[in-house]
Amino acid sequence: MPRSCDTLSAPSCPDLDAILARHPAHPRYLLAALQDIQAAFRHIPREAMVRVAAHMGIPESRVYGVATFYKALSLVPKGRKTVKVCMGTACHLRGAPGVLEALENALGIAPGDTTEDGAFSLETVNCLGACALAPVVMVEDTPYGAMTPARVASMLEKERDHAV
Amino acid sequence: MKTLSVDGKTVSVESGTMLYDAAVLAGASIPTLCRHEGLPHEGACRVCMVELHRRGTVRLVASCMFPVNEEGLEVRTDTERVRAARNFVIRLLLRRNGDSAAIRRLAAEENVLPDGRLPALEKELCIRCGRCIRACSANGTDALGFALRGWDRKTTPPFGEAAATCVGCLACAEVCPTGHISWEEKDGHRRIWGRDFALVCCEHCGEPFATEEQLAFLRAGHPSDALSPEEERFCPRCRRIRAGQSFTLEEVKDR
Amino acid sequence: MRFENLEDLEHRRRELEARRAEGARVRICAGTGCLAGGSAHVKAAFETEAARRGLTLGVDFRAETTGCHGFCEEGPLVVVEPGGILYRRVQPGDVAEILESTVLGGIPVERLLYRDASGKVCLSEKETPFYAGQDRQVLHRCGHIDPKEIDDYIRTGGYRALGTALSMEPEEVVRTVVASGLRGRGGGGFPTGAKWESCRRASGTHRFVIANGDEGDPGAFMDRSLMEGDPHSVLEGMLIGAHAVGARKGFLYVRAEYPLAVEHLGRAIAQARERGLLGRNILGSGMDFDLEICRGGGAFVCGESSALMASIEGRAGEPRVKYIRSTERGLWNCPTVLNNVETWANVPLVLLRGEKAYRSKGTSGSPGTKVFSLVGKVRHSGLVEVPMGTSLREIVFGLGGGVLGRGRFKAVQTGGPSGGCLPEEKLDLPVDFDRLVEEGSMMGSGGMIVMDQRTCMVDVARYFIGFLAEESCGKCVPCREGLQAILAILRDLTEGRGRPGDARRLEEMGRALSDTALCALGQTAANPVLSTLRFFSEEYREHEENHFCRAGVCRGLYVSRIARESCVGCGACKRTCPTGAISGETKKVHSVDPTSCIGCGACLDTCAFGALAAAPREGTTR
Repeated sequence: MPRSCDTLSAPSCPDLDAILARHPAHPRYLLAALQDIQAAFRHIPREAMVRVAAHMGIPESRVYGVATFYKALSLVPKGRKTVKVCMGTACHLRGAPGVLEALENALGIAPGDTTEDGAFSLETVNCLGACALAPVVMVEDTPYGAMTPARVASMLEKERDHAV
Repeated sequence: MKTLSVDGKTVSVESGTMLYDAAVLAGASIPTLCRHEGLPHEGACRVCMVELHRRGTVRLVASCMFPVNEEGLEVRTDTERVRAARNFVIRLLLRRNGDSAAIRRLAAEENVLPDGRLPALEKELCIRCGRCIRACSANGTDALGFALRGWDRKTTPPFGEAAATCVGCLACAEVCPTGHISWEEKDGHRRIWGRDFALVCCEHCGEPFATEEQLAFLRAGHPSDALSPEEERFCPRCRRIRAGQSFTLEEVKDR
Repeated sequence: MRFENLEDLEHRRRELEARRAEGARVRICAGTGCLAGGSAHVKAAFETEAARRGLTLGVDFRAETTGCHGFCEEGPLVVVEPGGILYRRVQPGDVAEILESTVLGGIPVERLLYRDASGKVCLSEKETPFYAGQDRQVLHRCGHIDPKEIDDYIRTGGYRALGTALSMEPEEVVRTVVASGLRGRGGGGFPTGAKWESCRRASGTHRFVIANGDEGDPGAFMDRSLMEGDPHSVLEGMLIGAHAVGARKGFLYVRAEYPLAVEHLGRAIAQARERGLLGRNILGSGMDFDLEICRGGGAFVCGESSALMASIEGRAGEPRVKYIRSTERGLWNCPTVLNNVETWANVPLVLLRGEKAYRSKGTSGSPGTKVFSLVGKVRHSGLVEVPMGTSLREIVFGLGGGVLGRGRFKAVQTGGPSGGCLPEEKLDLPVDFDRLVEEGSMMGSGGMIVMDQRTCMVDVARYFIGFLAEESCGKCVPCREGLQAILAILRDLTEGRGRPGDARRLEEMGRALSDTALCALGQTAANPVLSTLRFFSEEYREHEENHFCRAGVCRGLYVSRIARESCVGCGACKRTCPTGAISGETKKVHSVDPTSCIGCGACLDTCAFGALAAAPREGTTR
């Protein structure tokens, strides 16, 4: 099988074969396999979809449909750190829209996009289940509670230091 | 057999018959878009909604998908509630798909006018009914599928590229209700979904009737689907004619 | 060590109980809220402090992390036993004092105790209004046991209900659940027993049970806390259900954003397998059953049962037309029982106590208790469990402590994005499945969002419709295209382009959407619009006719105005105003220049005296 995708042929990349080997060749493991690929490659490379389809014996059209349907999967590479802005109801009521706007301005990107230097991806999520801390922003696994537009800059600065 | 009433008329149908078919049998006329006789139904377009009175409750159901499994169902196809529902759906389709002649015709038949209050949209032909996808899947080629979701949902070959497993059979275009799927043919080639296919012409009448890829796909598939080398030389019409009796080319063209 | 039969299980339970050491025990909440507040560091501090004093953890005293305690607003929470002394907002720096005074000395640290609204110090959970008004049945282990340890579950009576069920014929188990009146906690409130009955009767060789843990409602985290804090209770419920309907295989579908729930459930499954509580010949009964976890992919629509099943099958989460029930043709077209996580966790309670005892709580139509997540503009955000039929007022004001800050109550939203908003005059409504539906809302999975006068109801409708439009799978025309059309009008209203007649049009479109959409998501998607129209039509009228937002939320649709009698001239608003529209000398009444006020709302929340309010722009009132 040719490895046309750069990401897959890079020597430091986790091995796609190992991921596929973990999932039996049955369509019901499709989503799980794609989630593992997303975690390993920070996106779903085209070649990986072709391989998954062949491995599970399902049409590529179905793999592509599933890969583009679920929000947890992305066809374009995500940044080294993902900034998740909770847009749950509690956060909305306590000012999440203003926090999101401040982040968009500070990073210069819209939700779903990645900064040019690949440091950050900006995402909105529906609820992180930490409503008492509303509004909440998560940078990777670090939660920032009671966020305000004014605190956005210092939060990004702190995260950028160890972003590389 | 189960008996039901459609707009006051009584009909009896085999158990499991869909309400739509039962209603048509009773003489009712119900518009449809995503329904196609030869394909599995999806119930996605929601223009075939009818009012179902059953065990004391009244609700709207998609007639193409609701099976008649019991006695005494009562169906109404032309109440105010049905019309309101149908108009709502057609008006939404007019907003995005108003360039489609089929949608405009449907709107005219149902007396639906465009919604002037809503901001205008860029017009497109695809109504995301999925008939093309179901046809392609029924053929076993699975070259098409839905990608993305919600408002962005679209019909596409995988990865948004030229359709790798397409055989150029045109089944998708034939079942498309709005003319969204286009193709062109010239110099013995057919171009669809970003790929070129070599046309195969009938040795008898000279009309193109398949693509090389299509015949190869049939050969590789189940033996019962494959054509004999003899059959592969003629179009389906000439094949039927030859099976019965010999005709001259002029006689075939007359038919 | 594998339990070969019921006696083994009971023997183990007695052994664990006997071995249970007396003495001090610290329960540290490791629910998501408290973890975010730093409770892991608090745990670590207990370890360090113990070592510094030469104490041995587990011998001299125990420091255990547990699932969510519920009182998230005041986290990180630490409870010291015996006595149940409740400390709130605990930081690692507080640990030495807690250890010294309370754990070793038995004396409370007053500054870490909770004070109620009147300033009275509350020593323990029992004395704290947030807990005192609750009836924790489903959550009774949450916050008390270590969710990663099956022995904790067994010691507290876990898997006894399974034993009871296995000693009964499957039909009898179904009859008990039917008689208990248990209804689905995930949304619609469909009778659980009827579902089981239908699945049991359906023909088919394979049967499945599924737990829906795809809790997608924003502002709701009941199921998350259960899966994280007491995972075995969900497993036990599913085992009982599997015995009742004859399933040999089950799936737990867990939301993508809940990694901790996945971890705890995974551990629970592994431990249950080791003990022979999953697998072949469970407790010597001859029953075979196993469970598998499916991680969701981030799609709200997968909370809908047929979409969830499509997702388990490895397809996009699109609902299918369900004129044949999933109890007859569900997962891979086999008879399937799908219940919500909280419903499954109720099942052991039903079996253990019997249907009569279960029915003794709650209302006749909605027996039992219900867990709610109380969030928004409420003083005590958190998780509460109360008997069905408790009034909204009791929940919001009694347990929740009323509205946050200086706010005035305006509405409480129940039922998630497809639920409805209820105004002040409905506060005495007893909360159960049917009463909420009568008032145009619904129970949903139990999210309860409090809104104050700074919440614009048109904006709330726009928020929910925007959410649902983004989460629509796009399969059917009404939901895919209709939600965008409704959203376009709501955007116009909140951005100053409203036109007379918009409200009426929204209502028509909403009703048509409910009538035509394919699945429950689309059929209920118009509820946020319809319910706000029902109780807050005046605000819609102001937005459409006067381009005025009284809540001061919709940008540009108001100007700020200062009430002379309340202004003390502190200058806080003047300093916040980005356009310099506010003027006034210190300690004298300030005023807003309406021509330079852009209606951004920055000043509205800064005034500590309630002197600022939104007023219509001149020339906009007809």
